[in-house]
Amino acid sequence: MKTNLGARISNESFLSLFMLGVLVVLFGVACLFVPNFYRPQNMVNILTNNWFIVILGIGVTFLLITGNFDMSVGGNIAMTGVLSVWFCQAAGVSQNALANGLGLPYTAALVLALMCAMGIGAINAFFIARLKVPSIIITLGTMMLARGVAQIVTRGAQRNTSLPDAFGVLGNTAIPGTSVKVAVLVMIVLVVAAFVFEKLTVAGRRTYLIGANPEAARLSGIKVARHITLLYLASGLLAGITGILLASEFKAGVSGRAAGYEFDALVIALLGGVSIAGGFGSVLGMFVGAVILSVVTTAATGLLLSPDWQFTLKGLVTFIAILAQRFALDRRKA
Amino acid sequence: MKLTENVLEIRNLLKDFPSVRAVNDVSFDIKRNSVHCLVGENGAGKSTLIKILTGAYSKSGGRILLNGEEYNPHNPRDAKQKGISTLFQELNVVDQLTVAENLTLGMEDTTLGFLRKTDKINKMVSVMNSLEPSIKPRQLVSALSVAKKQIVEIAKAVATESDIIIMDEPTAAISEGEIARLFQIVRGLRAKNVTVIYISHRLDEIFELGDYVTVMRDGKHIDTRPVSAIQDRSELIRMMIGKTVFEAYTPKPERSRELVLRCRNLTNHKLGGISFEVRAGEIAGFYGLVGAGKTELARAIYGVDEYQGEILFKGRKLAPSPDKVIAAGIALVPEERRSQGLFTILTIRGNVPVMNMAKVSRHGFINSAQERKVTQEYIEKLRIATSSTEKEVIKLSGGNQQKVVFSKCLFADADLLMLDEPTRGIDVGAKSEIYGIIRRLSEEGKAILIFSSELPEIMNICDSIYLLYDGNLKASLQNGPDIDSEKIIHIVTGGEGK
Repeated sequence: MKTNLGARISNESFLSLFMLGVLVVLFGVACLFVPNFYRPQNMVNILTNNWFIVILGIGVTFLLITGNFDMSVGGNIAMTGVLSVWFCQAAGVSQNALANGLGLPYTAALVLALMCAMGIGAINAFFIARLKVPSIIITLGTMMLARGVAQIVTRGAQRNTSLPDAFGVLGNTAIPGTSVKVAVLVMIVLVVAAFVFEKLTVAGRRTYLIGANPEAARLSGIKVARHITLLYLASGLLAGITGILLASEFKAGVSGRAAGYEFDALVIALLGGVSIAGGFGSVLGMFVGAVILSVVTTAATGLLLSPDWQFTLKGLVTFIAILAQRFALDRRKA
Repeated sequence: MKLTENVLEIRNLLKDFPSVRAVNDVSFDIKRNSVHCLVGENGAGKSTLIKILTGAYSKSGGRILLNGEEYNPHNPRDAKQKGISTLFQELNVVDQLTVAENLTLGMEDTTLGFLRKTDKINKMVSVMNSLEPSIKPRQLVSALSVAKKQIVEIAKAVATESDIIIMDEPTAAISEGEIARLFQIVRGLRAKNVTVIYISHRLDEIFELGDYVTVMRDGKHIDTRPVSAIQDRSELIRMMIGKTVFEAYTPKPERSRELVLRCRNLTNHKLGGISFEVRAGEIAGFYGLVGAGKTELARAIYGVDEYQGEILFKGRKLAPSPDKVIAAGIALVPEERRSQGLFTILTIRGNVPVMNMAKVSRHGFINSAQERKVTQEYIEKLRIATSSTEKEVIKLSGGNQQKVVFSKCLFADADLLMLDEPTRGIDVGAKSEIYGIIRRLSEEGKAILIFSSELPEIMNICDSIYLLYDGNLKASLQNGPDIDSEKIIHIVTGGEGK
């Protein structure tokens, strides 16, 4: 039965189903050992806790499918968050430099901050798509660059005073009648949009074609450089949105925010079966990967494991999941 | 060790591939310390024979005796140790290392993994000095010309006491002066107890350099003779092409047809000012040997490589960028189908509509029912052997993969199709099917350019034939009953005359 099914579906669906299976097993094990793990509220938490990683994961996934990395997203979050604060902090109100901003209207501050976020994407795109520099090098560079901007603007600390009242609204409002935050809604909308883009649009298809064979894509008339440029701009924009939502939630622009998120976004994409060789993977897989990571970290916390263990745990889960994938795919081919 | 008169004896050698016998009962001897040339058209079986000798392929039957002993190399390294070195067209030198490091590469003396300076390197260097004193051992190989890199490889082969050095078209990428120097070195190798197996399409070189020549055709051994026993080029050409009867070409009825493509004076790093015209419904064939500039011409027209000169397509100047060229109505079946033509990890449905997504989408959204339908249509029209539209292309045979590339280009609705080596590496049945498709397209009024290194292919289906040599257009002929294949071979191998 299983082999029959296995033969009929594509590798991509097979991997998504396989990782879904892994998720179910992990969840079952966690329910057995961790008190109250099965409660609906806990499940909702597991699905929504990681909203910021999932949003980043969308851009990272599509870029990985084209065969490119984006390691700049974590730094970009810090930069955009800090800038959104600085732009709309009141100007000249205090002796303390960190309490003085540019005094721009709130909306203008957000738009400007998002443009800066896309600026990071534009730098990535220029070097990677036009000058053909390996993406891992460039995006590690822009990761530092963006975080550096955040550090300069906050003098290595944070900005959290003289903000307009509107600033905290976006990140702290729940959808009426529920406890679901706006940010989670944004994540859901973006994941659905990404799913539609991936499965139904010509541009989504191009993403796979470029990853599967960039030379054949070029000879088939696809504007490879332009497409990769657009994806980097989109990935920058998604990081910017995340940065603004996080800054709003904490009513502060913190230079150290989102450290390591670029790795988390990469890990959930890999857990979801996206191939770093390009041409293969899906947003839904990435979402499943995010939930796997969330289940593991939540279970660890529930088992009263000290937070110091989080990194080690993430590392182990990544290894096991990716080995399991390899094993499953090889078995399938044989 | 008693030295046999023949360094190599090949007896009833066979090599089978699925659907084709590439080397068919070949037997001949190679005399010690001679320069033995191997000639034949593309597909004659030379490369397969060489790959067996170098251990890249294993033979399907027959025997090979090296110095009178059974020779059966497991891999190229093994072949080298047993005494057969090869100078491939793609040279085996590492650009980032020095000449001396390259000479000892793979046989360094080490202690606990650390390199040790020993006499070996001095011996290597002295051999190289005797061949070409101008190459310095401490020089980086990246600074050397192709010709000098070849000499480094030859030196390495000589110093490791190879009995045989196989040279695969060593003159394809080097200049006239360097060729003269290379020949001097090759002649000098006899004195160093080395036999050379020399492969070249440039027939003049065989008369200049060779002691013996072996001619192969269709996987069979035709003859082995001393070069002095061969009168001239045309006798050699006759041996190469034999009495091959080409599938009869039928001339098309004369019609006044619209001019589709006009190239004037195309010039770039490879092309030396090429001009020609193609009309609707015409099949134009560009024939030349490897390195003659066929692919470069196709890539220039397609806007992949830069060029000077002018290309007019249906009266308009063509912008040099593939996406614009495709939009104008030109499609290319590239030379390498896997690396340039196909998305092998995707399905047939993922490949076929790629060059014209607008036809299967609305407002940027793909209509997957439509996509399946057209894919199914092409599967039936070109008779692609597959169980469904959802099969990954990598799982198809070579001929069926090539049909997917054709489908992709046909779906682009082009008025001009460029086919670079359209039947390379596919079996005879699929070949004739593809010729059928090409003829049908031409009857529909499409202009077709074929770039091929297989003469039967060119003579079989092309209306006009253009002969390329070293990036230049040497002659253009109309196909017909009195076309002379010997003359064609004469021209593309560097002979003069129109």
